[in-house]
Amino acid sequence: MKKIIFAIFFFASCEKGLSDLNINGTNSTSLDPALLLNQAIINTSFPVKSLVFDIGVVQQMISPNGGVLAGANFNQDSRDITTQPLWTAYYQSVIKNTYDALTRSKDLPNRSNMYNMARIYQTYVFMILTDEYGDIPYTDGGAGLVKGALFPKYDRQQDIYPLLIQELTEAAAALNTTAVIETGDILYAGNVDKWKKFANSLLLRAGMRLSKVDPTQAQSIVQAAVAGGVITANADNAYIRHDANYTQPIGNTLNGGEAANFYLAKPFADQLKNTADPRLTAIAIRYVGATSGAGQTVAVGTTDPTKQIGMPIGNDNGTIVAAAAADGLASFYDYSQVDRRRMLKISSPVFLVTAAQTNLLLAEARFRGWINTGSAAQYFADGISAHMDQMVVYDMNSAVSTAARDTYIAANPLTAGNELEQINTQYWIASFLNGPEAFANFRRSGFPTLTPNPYGQPNNPDVPNGTFIRRLTYPTSELSVNSENVNEAISRQGPDKLSTRIWWDKQ
Amino acid sequence: MPGVSVTVKGSSLGTTSDNTGRYSIHASPNATLVFSFVGFKTTEVKIADRTAIDVSMIIDNQNLGEVVVTALGIKKQARSLGYAATSVKPEEISVNRSSNVMNALQGKVAGVNISSLGTGPGGTSKIRIRGQSSISGQNNPLIVINGVPVDNTNFNDNTIGVKGGGVFADGGDGLSSINPDDIENMTILKGAPASALYGSRAKDGVIMITTKTKGKTKGIGVTYNLNYTNDTPLDYTDYQHEYGQGENGVRPTAPNPTSGQWSFGEKFEPGMTQILFNNLTVPYTPQGSRIKEFYRHGQNIANTIAFESSSDKGGFRMSLNNTSNQGIMPNNTFNRKSMNLGFSYNLSEQFLISGNVNYSREINTNPPNIANQDNSIPTTLMAMSTSMPLHVLDENKYNAAGDEYNWSRFTNRTNPYWVLAEQFHNIKRDRIFGNVTLKYNLRPWLSVQGRFGQDYWSRDEDVNNFPTGQASRAAAPPGFVNGLYTQESRRFRETNLDYLVNANKKFGVVEVTLNAGGNRMRKRTDANNVVVTDFITRGIYTVQNGRSKDPVYTLIEQGVNSLYSSAELNFNQTYYLTGTLRNDWFSTLSPENRSIMYPSVSGSYIFSEHLTHVKWLNFGKLRLGYAEVGSDGDVAPYSNQLFYTPNANFINNPNGQPVPVGTSAISNNVTGTTLPNANLKPSRIAEVEAGLEMRLFNNRVNIDLAVYRKITSDQIVLVQISDASGYLNTPINSGKSRNHGFEAMLNLVPVKSADWSWEFTANTSYNITKVLSIITNKPGERITTGTHVFNGETRHVVGQEIGQIAGYGYAYNEKGQQIFQSNGLPQRSSDFMLYGSALPKWVGGFLNTVNYKGFRLSVFIDYKLGNKMLSGTNFNAVRHGLHKMTLEGREGGVKGVGVDAGGNPNNAVAAVQTYWEHLRSQQIIAPVVYNGGYWKLRQVSLGYDLTKHIPVRWPIKGVKLDLVANNVLLLKKWVDNIDPETFGFGSDNQIGLESPGLPTSRSLGLNLNIKL
Repeated sequence: MKKIIFAIFFFASCEKGLSDLNINGTNSTSLDPALLLNQAIINTSFPVKSLVFDIGVVQQMISPNGGVLAGANFNQDSRDITTQPLWTAYYQSVIKNTYDALTRSKDLPNRSNMYNMARIYQTYVFMILTDEYGDIPYTDGGAGLVKGALFPKYDRQQDIYPLLIQELTEAAAALNTTAVIETGDILYAGNVDKWKKFANSLLLRAGMRLSKVDPTQAQSIVQAAVAGGVITANADNAYIRHDANYTQPIGNTLNGGEAANFYLAKPFADQLKNTADPRLTAIAIRYVGATSGAGQTVAVGTTDPTKQIGMPIGNDNGTIVAAAAADGLASFYDYSQVDRRRMLKISSPVFLVTAAQTNLLLAEARFRGWINTGSAAQYFADGISAHMDQMVVYDMNSAVSTAARDTYIAANPLTAGNELEQINTQYWIASFLNGPEAFANFRRSGFPTLTPNPYGQPNNPDVPNGTFIRRLTYPTSELSVNSENVNEAISRQGPDKLSTRIWWDKQ
Repeated sequence: MPGVSVTVKGSSLGTTSDNTGRYSIHASPNATLVFSFVGFKTTEVKIADRTAIDVSMIIDNQNLGEVVVTALGIKKQARSLGYAATSVKPEEISVNRSSNVMNALQGKVAGVNISSLGTGPGGTSKIRIRGQSSISGQNNPLIVINGVPVDNTNFNDNTIGVKGGGVFADGGDGLSSINPDDIENMTILKGAPASALYGSRAKDGVIMITTKTKGKTKGIGVTYNLNYTNDTPLDYTDYQHEYGQGENGVRPTAPNPTSGQWSFGEKFEPGMTQILFNNLTVPYTPQGSRIKEFYRHGQNIANTIAFESSSDKGGFRMSLNNTSNQGIMPNNTFNRKSMNLGFSYNLSEQFLISGNVNYSREINTNPPNIANQDNSIPTTLMAMSTSMPLHVLDENKYNAAGDEYNWSRFTNRTNPYWVLAEQFHNIKRDRIFGNVTLKYNLRPWLSVQGRFGQDYWSRDEDVNNFPTGQASRAAAPPGFVNGLYTQESRRFRETNLDYLVNANKKFGVVEVTLNAGGNRMRKRTDANNVVVTDFITRGIYTVQNGRSKDPVYTLIEQGVNSLYSSAELNFNQTYYLTGTLRNDWFSTLSPENRSIMYPSVSGSYIFSEHLTHVKWLNFGKLRLGYAEVGSDGDVAPYSNQLFYTPNANFINNPNGQPVPVGTSAISNNVTGTTLPNANLKPSRIAEVEAGLEMRLFNNRVNIDLAVYRKITSDQIVLVQISDASGYLNTPINSGKSRNHGFEAMLNLVPVKSADWSWEFTANTSYNITKVLSIITNKPGERITTGTHVFNGETRHVVGQEIGQIAGYGYAYNEKGQQIFQSNGLPQRSSDFMLYGSALPKWVGGFLNTVNYKGFRLSVFIDYKLGNKMLSGTNFNAVRHGLHKMTLEGREGGVKGVGVDAGGNPNNAVAAVQTYWEHLRSQQIIAPVVYNGGYWKLRQVSLGYDLTKHIPVRWPIKGVKLDLVANNVLLLKKWVDNIDPETFGFGSDNQIGLESPGLPTSRSLGLNLNIKL
């Protein structure tokens, strides 16, 4: 009988079989890097926070309402309002995937194109982040899984830029047609030529960024980029082709709950109106006589450029009532909006780097004498032309006819003495809906000429009177979780405020 | 005496005496009979060849015989327990019943804090024993039925199954399968020393339920029970009724005003009108109670019929029950049909077989969405503007296209009538749990028991998260209509196989009891879930009719092997010492960390045995215990690695070819933001407990006191890391918290005479939980576990009480004056402030029972004190202009009392709407943090035993009728406009964060019990 007891004892103490239970039968422990890169690209689509800040700072779209929409419109540092900051979206949903993709493909010689594509794309995203915030974790950024860098240190922007430039140069050079062509890629179907042009266009952008802080360096980078070959035709545009399953965040929000909350801003609308720009018809719609969101029906909508009226900057939902009345409108719902049935559908494409932008940068580079080929006036015309031709990709009904395009270009040539202003104002228009890029170039070039947002002045605690917002502030999560490192960055860069200038944004 | 238990010593043969005190039993001539009855001394009589033995029972003042069921089903004498184990009388749960069986015990058991969540019938019950033991998670006690643990997974916060938003309903927990009429006994093991034998699953206590297995008297018995209650929703809103709908002081004067939820309009004057919707002119006057107009009366009917039989060889009991609940939310119903079968039978003198099976079918229809915005009716109703007539919303649900009429510019406040008409949510569950036990007496002093138990359920759920045409949603691509639909089929099985060897022998005055056993537990969940986006034909919510389908199959398995033993020593039935040891091996941990051991030691000293000369002291016991227990479910299966999953949908590359997209997921939660940790261990509690029990003056005064101190360490903390790492957080073993407190129960019987008696019971518990460390023990270090839907969060801070409500407040200068900005708006504090703990410190109740000639009146008052709450309902009331505090400044604006940034008196005036809306733009919570405590007259019941009025010839043996009233009166509360109990969240991650839920209701009804 004792034997029975001992036998029963040992039966239960067996550890056998317990390890087998802990093996996941339905998910795998690895994934092809092509899928990860695709996810990263899709997640780069500019978040709503870029509408609340970036697009608002450059005064292209504006909302009179507060709550989650408070930001550039109120000169307010809305650090914790619940729309996700660019920081979180990009580090957690984009860089996490690109870092993983390039770690997986790094040591596989036949996947060298995937490795370099991931490097180029990751560099693009890091450039957006550093342009928005200044000093950011770069060398250890995204390395949580691979290196265990749970609280990464911040690098100085002046150290990051040379590394970004080096990455772009090396990766572009390393792309070749002998390794596997990664056709599963949603940006260019793996086309090596187009990826090289994308990388070089990013290099051009990075070079131009340094025009204030280090013009010599800027010049040599721009020359290298042009030598490598940049995007000059719309066929080579880098853009995300959203569809019904992978919708874009801004389009989603403006077709849903916030449809009646964002309007075309007066400075932007006036610029297009006063120059009889055919793009106004492509972009805008006004629901004449609307007194509510429900009243913004297709029946009363008009795209007639003469009827478009932009919403002035600097109002909240109390003062906007008087402003609308002063403009002869039925209510603030009667101002012009970006047409959410054409340019901002939930599946509308999101353009990252375009021929229009590249041509305009070339125009400036040529004007400064940093390159010797072509003429500034021609690049200028090509840039405008490329952007107008791009409109049809958003929606058939946003197409700009060749006739209208040519008329505009003929009527608006590059004039002596105004080159920088004209080029960068067109860059501003060509970067419409790319909040981060419009914001970055506006700070760098100082154009277009805008009046600073008067809301909350003269004693606004976040933005000094008469100035523009110059960066985004670090998210509270960083301040509370990674405090040592972020405070070190703040002590180097300057106070963590909307008004602090980042390294390349010299006065 | 009827009901006396007569057993043959050393065997499992037994019977009970009948109504006349007669009994009949088979036994061998030299055996010994044991006669026992609660409250009387157990008597042993040798048969000595007699055929008829009469015994007189003697009252036992020393409770020698009282037996309690303790951990693992081991029966022990109550006097030997070195820890607190409270028994609950079944009438407490079956007479004054509630749809979730535990809710009826609110405030009745010292140390057990029960909250019924305002989520409708079929909802979850939140049970917290001895405070909140860990920083995150659910902290729920283990539920054991007839010795076998059963699953109590709850679907309260919908992180299981339903993805995509639009659904915030409570899908119920495991207790909804239990019929209160089947419960014979419920024992609550409150502390670690009591539950140590359960080892890893016992961190938060154990609720042990024993169901009836056989009749009490010989022969066949039939019992019928009817319980009916009617619920009336209660309205505590005290909003302003001076200003109506509108913004910036203007009322709606044109069709389609889209203010909708804002009440910053004009002051009501007689004869005013407003223009709403389709150009309707509607009087501009304040409306009546929204709650009374929208919600309906709830009705609950439960019918149980039970058949039982008992003989000297064994017995059985079978019951059938139908419970139907109609909730106060129109459309919401819950129905349970159950069958419970218990049996026990002696195959021979040595061999006993017993078992229990419970089958239930539960159908939960339209559990209401609460606390959020889209589709949450309470949120919209509680923020409805003062002058909006509800019938206008009902009559104008649809616009010309058949979609939801966009009635408010705040499109996420869905029209309640539209939700009722368009959204459906069906949950059906079939569940069967039970066990079979075989017990064999190898010797008179040695027995062996083997048991197999299983809990299996299959649950089908379908819901249209976002019905087609919802105003806050974007349109579908051309050719489709929008909407989101989820369908899930989930199957769960837990099996427990265990054995127990028991030896009990007396050596003179020393008695030794040894128990040793083992358990093999396996759990498996299979779930098939599909989310469908956009539809082809309008109105048909099925998978086939969808545009985009995202089907997922999930499989989760885990297991634990355990060995345990306990040894009890007693000296002269006066000194008792018990030690237990349990070792668990977990499949979810890495091999190095897999084995965990849990010891305990407890003892009791019956000091009344040495004070027999003190006549007024009937019984006195001192007890002391120490134990270590752990946590079940801390480390999820497969959490040691990062997993990947491709997305359901492909996307086209520039050449037009569909290509896949994918990213990382962690095991079966497709969040991908948590960095896995392969070296996790379960958390551990070490608890010390001491107690005193006394019975005085012939049991007319009874006192039970306990003090305890428990430390939870190695808590799994999801520590937030820098976003720049690519991940949001990672789990580590590091948190430490300390609970201490006391529990007291005082029971008095001031009056006891032939005609009437009065009994008074007071129970109270005091608990404080403090966070000792999270990652380090630096005071001020903090972790956020949950954020409020609107503003504010629940945070744990080292050095503070657990569960702090945190958020921005107003800024003050050093002199204590409030600071205002140049535009007259209040300045916000520079950082989050802590407002206090959301956990109550004092929980208890007072029960008065008066018996007079067969009538029984009982009145119960309960309270919860010392907790703070952040009221989302009041937050909305302030920002939308409904709260009475927003009356300030309506004419002329608000001039804040305080100073400006320079220290000079504030002269700036802010527009009234901007001033009060500032709360939302700046996320300020200070004005809406309240003391969340209350005093309630919880239950009043009046019962009468009609048995003596029944003619003897009739077959009816007993009739009892009780009239019951629940939630009778709210005596005191501190929070504005709502009942402090309208919380809807069961998870401790969001403790204290109230958001609009269903109003509480008062119920009146009756319970009729007939025995044949």
